[in-house]
Amino acid sequence: MIFPTEINLLDISAVILLIATFGLMVSRGFSNWVNAYRYQTIVLAGIVALIASITNIWELYIVSALTFGIKAVIIPKILFYVTKKLDSPIKLEIYPYISMKLSVIIAALLVTMSYFIFLYLDIKSNEIIQVFLPVSFALFFIGLFVIVSRRKALNQMMGLLTIENGLFLFAVSLTHGFSLIIEIGLMADIVLGVMISSILLFRMSRTFDSIDIKNLESLRDD
Amino acid sequence: MNEFYITELFFGISQVLLLVVLSPLIVGIMRKTKARSQKRVGSPIIQPYFDILKLVKKEEVVSDQSSWIFRCNPWVNFATTVSAAFFIPVSIVYSPFGVMGDILLVIGLFGLGKFFTILSGLDVSSSFGGLGSSREIMFSVLVEPALLITIFVIAIFYGGTNISMIVTSANEISFLASPGVIFALIAFFIILMVETGKLPFDNPSTHLELTMIHEATVLEYSGKSLALIEWSQSIKQIILLTLFVNIFIPWGISDNFSLTEISFGMLFIITKIISLGILITLIETRIAKWRLFRVPDLIAISIASSMMGVIFFFI
Repeated sequence: MIFPTEINLLDISAVILLIATFGLMVSRGFSNWVNAYRYQTIVLAGIVALIASITNIWELYIVSALTFGIKAVIIPKILFYVTKKLDSPIKLEIYPYISMKLSVIIAALLVTMSYFIFLYLDIKSNEIIQVFLPVSFALFFIGLFVIVSRRKALNQMMGLLTIENGLFLFAVSLTHGFSLIIEIGLMADIVLGVMISSILLFRMSRTFDSIDIKNLESLRDD
Repeated sequence: MNEFYITELFFGISQVLLLVVLSPLIVGIMRKTKARSQKRVGSPIIQPYFDILKLVKKEEVVSDQSSWIFRCNPWVNFATTVSAAFFIPVSIVYSPFGVMGDILLVIGLFGLGKFFTILSGLDVSSSFGGLGSSREIMFSVLVEPALLITIFVIAIFYGGTNISMIVTSANEISFLASPGVIFALIAFFIILMVETGKLPFDNPSTHLELTMIHEATVLEYSGKSLALIEWSQSIKQIILLTLFVNIFIPWGISDNFSLTEISFGMLFIITKIISLGILITLIETRIAKWRLFRVPDLIAISIASSMMGVIFFFI
């Protein structure tokens, strides 16, 4: 029996991250989105720890722990709190702009596209970049796609957070970690962003009785 | 040399017999697990054997409006599933009959059986039969591309569509050959649930004919024919489970003809099939049946997943 080598482990963790991202595409309810995001972030924290163990940079372990603590524990808590307080009755993404089955296939095509983009880039210096850079592109594109294709504001927030995860993975795999203080600043930024968008959600839900983005399109009440 | 071929053939045939004989037991174990997880006592795990025996003894009622299709469908079903069983390696990495056909032939045989089932559902012109037939054909049309892409993913990673070859190289590599295989695994698992009529797609144990899919097409059968149909359905299920286990988790399968290794392989495969069956049943108890027009979503996941498997081959 052959056990997975380190590179094989990198590949497998990238695949698991992609699968977790697909979980965001296929789920329909509020709690499912938040849970999908949580799984995705836990896998991401694991990947950061893996990179840390390969490159022997101890700061990355702290970054991994921070990722886990802030993105996988605190942000989902905030979001669950928000959804509990919202008084809009519909909590499902029933009619997205693009249907579920089409969007899953489009997401697969986006992953393909990101791998092809990666083929034309000239940064293939080590294994970590080679494995995780295309995945970070894929996360970025899928997040963007979630933002443009879904109606509910909370779902769009999940898309934004996925983009952020992709950028984070991009930065970590390319540079093996910034200095710790920047990392902490980034995390604080995300928490603030989530809080501000939660406040927006509250206001939207109070004004329109729903969190459908369509309500924001008209400029005044006619 | 001649003796070697005889032992080979003997093992091949005994593998097929094992699948055919054990298949109702797996059904019984799955039913028992389901009953236990719903806090019921449930029928004993050998109940499917009793069912088949009882059905064989009973008199058969055939509608006088039906044609030869209705009467030959159980035999076609049974013959196709049993002949598909000849190509499946069970406890040894290759099946002696593997030279005659590959995994595409197995799918073709299943397709033939399904085709006759659908025709016989239409043949007696009962309203439920037609309904079940139209649903069954819808599902099989949707599953076909997913299944074929999945098989191509497996074929490009393990070097060929011959099942013996796939299982041999899967056994040699032993852990995942490539991350792409994980995607193929997800896709194949969804297809497995569709083909065996499991819960998000089909609920065979319901009392309401409107929600049935496979059962609605065979609603008119009784006696021996029903026994044959149920038996071939369970053989199909065990074949798919064996394929899944042997392609994706082939640990413990024997690669030569020594008696101890084969008996260990037998033990391993039976344990793995039973635990996979229990796992599927536990998943089944946690979800409700999906609306018919939401089911394509899941099959789209399967297609997308196998597409990603193809991508991972080329990078």
